[in-house]
Amino acid sequence: MKKTLCLFAAMLATVAISTAAQSEPATISVSSPTLKDGEPVPIVHTPDGRNESPAISWSNVPDGTKEFAVICEDPDAGFPPPFVHWVVYKIPATAKGLPAALPIDGSPMPGEIAGAVQGLSGFRRAIYRGPAPPPGKVHHYHFIVYALDTKIVTQPDQPPLNRAQLLEAINSHVIGQGEIVATYERK
Amino acid sequence: MSDQSHFTRRTVLRGATLVGATVVAAPTLLVTPDTATAAASAFKTLTAAEGKLLDAIVDRLIPSDAHGPGAREAHVVHYIDRALGDALASSRSAYASGLAALDRYATSSRGKSFLELSSIDQDSVLIDCETGGATGFTGSSAQFFAMILNHTRQGMFGDPFYGGNVNQVGWELIGYPGVRTFVSPDDQKMLEANKLTSNHKSAYDYRGFSQDAHHGD
Repeated sequence: MKKTLCLFAAMLATVAISTAAQSEPATISVSSPTLKDGEPVPIVHTPDGRNESPAISWSNVPDGTKEFAVICEDPDAGFPPPFVHWVVYKIPATAKGLPAALPIDGSPMPGEIAGAVQGLSGFRRAIYRGPAPPPGKVHHYHFIVYALDTKIVTQPDQPPLNRAQLLEAINSHVIGQGEIVATYERK
Repeated sequence: MSDQSHFTRRTVLRGATLVGATVVAAPTLLVTPDTATAAASAFKTLTAAEGKLLDAIVDRLIPSDAHGPGAREAHVVHYIDRALGDALASSRSAYASGLAALDRYATSSRGKSFLELSSIDQDSVLIDCETGGATGFTGSSAQFFAMILNHTRQGMFGDPFYGGNVNQVGWELIGYPGVRTFVSPDDQKMLEANKLTSNHKSAYDYRGFSQDAHHGD
């Protein structure tokens, strides 16, 4: 009887683990020619330089991905945190990443990510603006990539989504996720 | 995306109505005019270098485009130049230090002076100022940007008597039909139908808004 109970308990545990695995997003491999985990964001991606958005690429994407979204956020700033530096969504499933220096003037997105939309950052602008922390403390910048099992639907005249709106829209649709966490400090 | 990313007319027009109201309701906030001519070839308060840089900045804030002339054509820089010698004199030092800081920032971050940058890089510099990311300013770059934007709106949409809004290009842009002391019922109907054409009149074309009245003499 005890053996039977143990077997039943083991089966339950297996089911629980299996269910958890299905609900947890798969891990996406995220890389960048300029951003490295734990290393400072290059100046070119900050207002101390040209403030251009970085190139990011991804791989090991789960089957069934319909679209990607990217957020850059700083959990060391914001009221409340995180402070949002970049929001991009409606990135086509065929995309392998984002090219550097996305437009800041309303120009069309590069062909490989045609249709992608830049959302509102904490600066209330729908463009990338890089790290500019107050001096004296290292801040961490999470460049997060989401693989989605659905396409985000928006109205033609709808304002760009901010981070909160995007996260609400993709809630329960994230099937893959990965990130690069870089740092920046102003002396 | 496009409306949010650039310095669009929409951004600048947000304060236009307020400026128009200020002209009539509180003229003492604005600069004392010395002549009715809108454009002066030389600057009265700014140095030539400051004036050239400021003109380039306001040209990016309200650029000339398919909707009509912009801040450069409205001689906004001359409005600010005059105002800095009068009603806005307390801002003169902020302009001197802020313009110098902006140009240093452009050079340190983008490798060229502001005037040498492409328009897209100029916009990027101004956005960094607006968002407070630009360095080297006394106080916040965002404060300096907000000041220039405010004065640009005044020069673009204020009464042409004060040196900006030349040929009333700002009023034409927002469909303001000119200053009127009397509005007939027919005028009111046309106004509500957005069909009232401009009378091209400044407040100072009326006796009640003479220069003496402006000074409260």
